[in-house]
Amino acid sequence: MDNALYVGLSRQIVLQREMDIIANNIANVDTAGFKVESLMQKTDPGAPAVTLGGPKPVKFVAPDGVARNFGQGSLNSTGAPLDMAIDGQGFFQVQGPNGPRFTRDGRFTTDPTGKLVTQGGLAVLDESGSEITIDAEKGEVTIGPDGSMSQGREAVGKVGMFTFANQGALAKDGDNLFKNVSNLQPQPATDSKLRQGMLEGSNVKPVLEITRMVEVSRAYESTAKMMDSTADLSRRAVDRLGKAN
Amino acid sequence: MQALRTAATGMAAQQMNVEVISNNIANMNTVAFKKQRAEFQDLLYQTFEAAGTQSSDQGTIVPTGVQVGAGVKAGAVYRIGTQGALTRTDNQYDLAIDGRGYFQVLTPSGETAYTRAGNFSINDQGQLVTQDGYQVQPAITIPGDATQVTVSKTGQVQVIQAGQTAPNTVGVIELATFVNDGGLQALGGNLLKETAASGAPTTGAPGAVGVGTLVQGYTEASNVDPVSEITALIVAQRAYEMNSKVISTADNMLSTANQLKT
Repeated sequence: MDNALYVGLSRQIVLQREMDIIANNIANVDTAGFKVESLMQKTDPGAPAVTLGGPKPVKFVAPDGVARNFGQGSLNSTGAPLDMAIDGQGFFQVQGPNGPRFTRDGRFTTDPTGKLVTQGGLAVLDESGSEITIDAEKGEVTIGPDGSMSQGREAVGKVGMFTFANQGALAKDGDNLFKNVSNLQPQPATDSKLRQGMLEGSNVKPVLEITRMVEVSRAYESTAKMMDSTADLSRRAVDRLGKAN
Repeated sequence: MQALRTAATGMAAQQMNVEVISNNIANMNTVAFKKQRAEFQDLLYQTFEAAGTQSSDQGTIVPTGVQVGAGVKAGAVYRIGTQGALTRTDNQYDLAIDGRGYFQVLTPSGETAYTRAGNFSINDQGQLVTQDGYQVQPAITIPGDATQVTVSKTGQVQVIQAGQTAPNTVGVIELATFVNDGGLQALGGNLLKETAASGAPTTGAPGAVGVGTLVQGYTEASNVDPVSEITALIVAQRAYEMNSKVISTADNMLSTANQLKT
């Protein structure tokens, strides 16, 4: 019978973690290129709980992984010429201090030498993985849907867009960056369109998150209630057995 | 509980967002004001269970390890330097820049500051100065007996003095351009300062390659779009509310845990 308490506890731990993830989604409701996450759960295969004479099998619940929804966020027009959004699958590649990183946050600018960089100062890379330099004196930058940049009639480079055969290869690295944690190689994203002067918003759906939050909080309460009544049962059992003697 | 701290970062970020938006709205009618935008970035992630990289199907939802984020931070606040509308004033000392570039202004500390606010006037010595009395560089002195002042698109300042018919050139206004305008630091009073991020200024005559032209009798309005600011304000307020809701829910869960019978 005591297992019920521990099963309940395992459920509560998972619910707390789920709540943490929902809180992170809601905190990033306005973060450019943010991808919403949810927690997947599994019955813990390692530690099946034993019941004496009870129905089998009793199993604990454990966090299984984070499901990241790479669906498109809304595209918002900003009018800034170096703001870019990817319409479709794919990522911009930037040069981080510890190797290449991938992002869908296209709020780019130039550094004092004219190099195209993120707001954090990381160089944005082109198709072949080299940096892009813009000469501000040559006039307005226009960017085509395939990422090719031009100033007037002169081509100045092509912003690279990359995709992965399996996006599970990417882990979040903070600062709106993703890190490739597999041995998959990024492939050019040919089907995606680059939109200049637009930013991709976060794909968090606030209503959905709030609903899930309510769900989590209620599930937590009912688990607590279940644990309470289990504890009640054992207390009463002890009381009665004690009287019989 | 992590959720409490995460939501607090969300509230702090949205508060900063509201501050930036309210500054934009307050400066809606400031000459040549450039709107600003708060930048958000997600914070670091804590990995509880490394990615097994198991793909589900070809869908967009991808399972990874258990990574829980710590919330959001306001990264940078940056200026959007798009051109503001040119407003006719008919004041002969009002100048607007159509295109790239900044007027150079000598501040009392002897440093050069940069501005796009061209609502100039002249001081007691006939020098062209900003509304705060800071001299425009290179210095332009208008003779006291000038009856008419014209500033050409390329920055030539010409005056017609009393009793003369031919115009007389008294100076040329030069503009400074920067590789990265967004890196300039705002000093208040419509002035901006050069920083390491902006790079060193390049000065040139208006109308030269990569430099805007001057328009006399006009000022540049702010590029704040009230409708989009109000919309952004609504979004920020709701996002703030939502984060506070997370805090109260997380608090409820903790209180449930506390009420468990022992």
